[in-house]
Amino acid sequence: MLSRNFLTLEGVSREELRDILDLARVHAAGHGGLSLVGRTVCLAFFEASTRTAVSFELAARRAGADVISISEKGSAVQKGESLIDTVVTLDALGADAIVVRHPSVGAARLAARYTDAAVVNAGDGCGQHPTQALLDLHALSNAVGSFDELCGRKVAVVGDVLHSRVARSVIPAFQAAGMEVALVAPETLLPSENGAWELPILPSVDDAIDWGADVLYALRLQNERMTSESPRIPSVAEYARYYGVARRHLRDDVLVMHPGPVNRGVEISGDVVLSDSSLIPAQVAAGVAVRSAVLAYATGVAQKAVA
Amino acid sequence: MGAQDLIIRGAHVLDPGSNLDGITDVRLSAGRITEVGEGLRGVRALDASGLHLFPGFVDVHAHWRTPGREDEETIETGSAAAAAGGFTSVVMMPNTDPVIDKPVVVSGLVRRIERESRVRAYVSAALHEGLEGKRLTEMRLLKEAGAFCVSDDGLGTQSAGVLRNGMLYAKSAGLPVILHCEDHTLATGVVHDGVAAALAGLPGSPGSAEDVATAMALVLAAETSAKVHVTHVSTALSAALVGFFKVRGDITADTTPHHLTLTEELVSTLEGLYRVNPPLRPDEDRIGVGDALASGILDFVATDHAPHAASEKELPLEEAAPGFLGHETAFSALYTDLVQSGKLSLSRLIETMASAPGRWVREASGASGACGICPGAPADLALVDLSGEWTVRADALVSRSSNSPYLGRRLKGRVVGTVVGGEMVYDGIGAKFGARA
Repeated sequence: MLSRNFLTLEGVSREELRDILDLARVHAAGHGGLSLVGRTVCLAFFEASTRTAVSFELAARRAGADVISISEKGSAVQKGESLIDTVVTLDALGADAIVVRHPSVGAARLAARYTDAAVVNAGDGCGQHPTQALLDLHALSNAVGSFDELCGRKVAVVGDVLHSRVARSVIPAFQAAGMEVALVAPETLLPSENGAWELPILPSVDDAIDWGADVLYALRLQNERMTSESPRIPSVAEYARYYGVARRHLRDDVLVMHPGPVNRGVEISGDVVLSDSSLIPAQVAAGVAVRSAVLAYATGVAQKAVA
Repeated sequence: MGAQDLIIRGAHVLDPGSNLDGITDVRLSAGRITEVGEGLRGVRALDASGLHLFPGFVDVHAHWRTPGREDEETIETGSAAAAAGGFTSVVMMPNTDPVIDKPVVVSGLVRRIERESRVRAYVSAALHEGLEGKRLTEMRLLKEAGAFCVSDDGLGTQSAGVLRNGMLYAKSAGLPVILHCEDHTLATGVVHDGVAAALAGLPGSPGSAEDVATAMALVLAAETSAKVHVTHVSTALSAALVGFFKVRGDITADTTPHHLTLTEELVSTLEGLYRVNPPLRPDEDRIGVGDALASGILDFVATDHAPHAASEKELPLEEAAPGFLGHETAFSALYTDLVQSGKLSLSRLIETMASAPGRWVREASGASGACGICPGAPADLALVDLSGEWTVRADALVSRSSNSPYLGRRLKGRVVGTVVGGEMVYDGIGAKFGARA
C-alpha cells in the first residue's frame, strides 16, 4: 500500500506505518542524507495550500531533489482534464515523483493512472491526506516515547469529520497503530453512515475527557464546504461550547492536536494552541522529515538503501 | 402467402402477453406477424432453432443527445445501439441542447427520426420550458408536432404547485408525464450517501432525495388522475410508495438494469465512470427494487441510456458527468444477474422489457390493434441466443460513447437479431433477411 504511490491510508497496516515512521525518524535526526539527488519531484497543487506546499518543497530540497512547482492560481474550479494533461506533461519531463493536491476526491488516484512517476496524495477533496496523518503519528510517537507506546491509547477525533480528508486518513492510521478511536461531533458533521468506521460517537469534548481520552484531535470547521441554505450548526458559540477544546479540558496526561489551519476560538481556544499540552507546533515541525521519508519511499531510494 | 413472406422457424417463442412459451414458427408479411404455429411453409425462412424469439424490447427512457451533443450519440448511433440490444421502440428524453420544448424542435426531430432511426423512436417533450419547472410548455402544440409524452427528466420539477399544474395540463393535452423524482435540497451529492461515500469522503445524496420527491409526485398523480410514469426508481422505499399509490391513480413505474444489478460499492473505486443519477444504491435497495419488479409493483425496465464523451467520464468522480450506456447490455446484464440466479423469471423479464412498456407506448401513442407475437401485430422482434456469452468491450460497442458500467464484464445471453416492422435492423448472425431494397 505504501510502496510506490501514497494515495490513501485506508487499509494501511501497522508494519507499513512503522517502516515509514522509522525512516522519518532517520530524516528528522538529520541522517536522511541527500537521498533524492538526481531525482525530480513535481508539486502539482490545484488547490490553495501554504503549509503543505512549503513543507513538501522543503522536504524535497533537503533531500537534494530537483523541484518543479505548479500551482493553479486564479481558477477556483479545476477540471480533471487539466489534471490529466498536467500529469502527462510532468511525466514527459521526467518526473520521478508527483505530489498532487486537488479539490476532488480521487484526483491523485486518477493521476497515478497517467504516469509512471510515483504519485503522492497531498490532499484530495474530502478524501485523504496521508502525509498529514503520518506526521501526526510521528509527532505523537515522539511525545509518548515511541510508536509502540501508541498501542492501547485513546484518541477522540473532534469536529467536522464529514468534510475532513484529515479525518479519513488519521482514523485508519490511529487504528492501525493500535489506538482506540472515538468521534465527537453533531450528526450534521458526520457522514450519514457514521457507523462506517464502527466507532463510538460522543456528545461533547467533556464526554471525551470522561471517556478517558489521551489525545484530543480537533478538526478544522470547514465553513467553506458548507452552504448557507442548509446550515449544519446553529452558531459558533454553541459549537465551541460542546465541540471546542478549551483550557478546562487540559490535563497533564492529555495531548491536544490539530492539523491546522486553526480557527481559534472555534474548535480550539487560543490559549490552548500554544499550551504545554499542545502538539500543534510539533506536528508542523514533523512535516518536513516525514515528507522527505515519504518521497524517498515513493521513489524507491529508501528501499534501495536498505537492500 | 405472399412471395415476400418470411418464416422464422424453430425458435423458442416466449411472449407472456400472448401466452406463448414453446418452440413454434412465426410468419412475417408486409411488416406484420401474420401467422404463429408449427410447420409453417414459405419461400424464405430463417432457421432459428436453438434461439429464443421475444417481442421487441421497449425502452421508455433514453438520451440520444440529439440535438446538441452529436459527438456523444446521434439518432443513427443511438438507434443502432438500441437495435443491437434487442430494442425496437425507444422514447427520447428532452434534456438536449436546445431542450425539446418548442413545437418546431419536435417536428424537426420527428423528421430526422424518420430518416435516421433504425427503430421506432418517440419524442418526449419538456413539461416545462427549459426543464426549469416554471413555465408550462405548449403541450397541445407539441403533441400536434409529434410529441409522444412530456417530462422534466434530468432535473425533476421541484415545486409541488408547479408540478400539479403540469400534470393537470398534460392530462388535458392527452400526454403522459414521465417523472424524474429528485429533491434538489437533499440531492446535493454525487453518489449515494452511504458507507462507500462516508469512507471515500465523496459528497452523498441520501435516498430521501428520491423518496421525498417520489412521494410528492405520487400524491399529486393520485389527486389529478393524470397519466404518470415514475422513471428510474432506485430505492426500496420509493418502490413501496409506488405500490401504495398505484391503485389510487393512473401510475406506472420503471427501474434500470444498473439499479437492479450494481451497488454503491463501485464508487469506492473513485472512478468518474460510476457516477450516475439516481446514484447506485446499497444492496438492500437493489434487492428491494428487484423484488418490486418481480412482484409487479414496478412495471418496466428502462435503461436511461446516457452516453457521455470520455473527456466527461475520465475525471474525478465529483467532476464527471452522471450516466451510463444502457441499450446494448440491458438484456444480458439482467439475464445474467437476475434470471440465471433465479431472482426473476425469464417470462417476467420479457414482460418488463417488452410486453408492459410496449402496451404503455401503444396506448400513449394512440395505436390500436394487436401487439406482441400474435397475428396482426407489427413484426417487432428480438432474437436471442441465451447460451451465448460475451465480454463487454469499449471498442465493440455500437454506441458512439463507451461509458458502460459493465466494461470488462462477461455476460450471458446475447441478442443476435432485431426486427422492426419486418425488417432486420440488427443482424448479429448474418441472417440478412428483409434488408431494405
